[in-house]
Amino acid sequence: MTSEAEILFALIRSRYGSRLDAAQLEELRTVVDGLVRDVAVLRAAVIPDDAEPAQGFTPYRSDS
Amino acid sequence: MSPTFRTIRELGTDIRAGRLSPVALAEACMTGLDTLGRKLNAVVTITRERALEQARRAERELAAGRDRGPLHGIPYGAKDLLATSGGIPTSWGAAPFHDRCFDYDATVIRRLEEAGAVLVAKLAMVEFAGGMGYRQPNASFTGPGISPWAGDAWSGGSSSGSGSAVGAGLVPFAIGSETWGSILGPATYCSVTGLRPTYGRVSRHGAMALCWTLDKLGPLALTADDCGLVLDAIAGPDREDPTAATRAYRYHASPPADRPFRFAVVRGTVDTAEPAVRDGVRRALDDLRALGTVEEIALADRPYESMARIILWTEAAAAAEQIVERGLIGELTAPEDRVTPYARDAILAKDYLRALRLRGVVAREIDGVLRHFDAIVGPARGTVGPRLGKEFRSALRGGAPDVLGAIGNAAGLPAVGVPCGFTDEGLPIGLQFMGRAWEENSVLAAARAWQARTDWHRRRP
Repeated sequence: MTSEAEILFALIRSRYGSRLDAAQLEELRTVVDGLVRDVAVLRAAVIPDDAEPAQGFTPYRSDS
Repeated sequence: MSPTFRTIRELGTDIRAGRLSPVALAEACMTGLDTLGRKLNAVVTITRERALEQARRAERELAAGRDRGPLHGIPYGAKDLLATSGGIPTSWGAAPFHDRCFDYDATVIRRLEEAGAVLVAKLAMVEFAGGMGYRQPNASFTGPGISPWAGDAWSGGSSSGSGSAVGAGLVPFAIGSETWGSILGPATYCSVTGLRPTYGRVSRHGAMALCWTLDKLGPLALTADDCGLVLDAIAGPDREDPTAATRAYRYHASPPADRPFRFAVVRGTVDTAEPAVRDGVRRALDDLRALGTVEEIALADRPYESMARIILWTEAAAAAEQIVERGLIGELTAPEDRVTPYARDAILAKDYLRALRLRGVVAREIDGVLRHFDAIVGPARGTVGPRLGKEFRSALRGGAPDVLGAIGNAAGLPAVGVPCGFTDEGLPIGLQFMGRAWEENSVLAAARAWQARTDWHRRRP
């Protein structure tokens, strides 16, 4: 587990740890580790500087 | 007269000829759903009162010469994430919401009513449409969905009941939803035809939100032609859903252009499937050459699946925030669904935005590829239906490759999944045709041509 994953796991445990038993916490650690690995793969991808998020937003007017 | 395994067009012909009563048809479907449907864990609620009211109305209207079109008097089932009024529960497959009711109909439900279709059942689904991270079939308060093809094999998810009810001949069509794999997966494992429309083609109003920018609603039916008929009824703009596209849709069942199809196969997408799927899809690709060219292509080396997963899990975390914070996930059926959602807090905002930026790049690149082809073809699902009680491999958790699913869903592209064979153990294998945005008619034309040439979709469990 990377240090980033350890830190994020600690954050999540501080928020929700009281709801989970030891086995569930261990499972949570594994899932967090997998997410962090996925993110690392994504961060390694080359994206053009001018690539904007593919996310729509439309200003709202009730009469249009 | 039994409705079993008859297409919408066949049923419509008999209804209009007076050989089949919509009321009798609805009754027959509900009887089957209440017996075999429950054995397959495909049913949440049989909507008897509403079904009979709609069927009687269809009978009256057709007798009076008012014909609402091909779905008039045709029964269907809806995945239980579509809001229904009239005291019919909408459970989202989740025990905490098993008796929760809405006071309105989802747009899709309303449009199907306007088309004269008859809602006979709310169909089972994986709890929260799989958004909590399940990794084995027993992840719904109605039990694991069972494939009509094997009593110990999963029907697929998350549109489990939609797949198995159509696959068992209990309804002519059903509505499912796909965020990533939830229409094409059950269509494959139940050996039926499933259509994932372009994102925005069908209003999501009244549908449970798993992932706002990935969720699509679409039909599962016996044939590609039937899927087109259903899409024609449910597609179109909707003021209640700002992401619903303003462009109109009409299904055209006419033959495609008078030329051979042009298909592309993305390098690696067949070879990475499970051996039985790989071999079955290879045979299907050989058969497909009778319909046109099949050209192998390579895509840019990008983290398609990681991109799609980060978008999915981030939006799912936000969509389910109140459910998670209130601790309701502790009541879910799958043990892993009581834990996994907490992990999504590990995704940082900048990484989500990076995934959305890459998404735009991918959408442009894949459109540039698809403009030279009628469809990209490949496995509709890279795995065969898992056995009940076993963990399965899933692209959503990184356990199985699914580049086509990642690209298709992240870029919002239409795809139709069709039966294309069986494993030695008798489990179904599916082929998908994925097209450019808004090209449902092109992929449906290819699928119709495939089904005119093969009989996989006519085999019965």
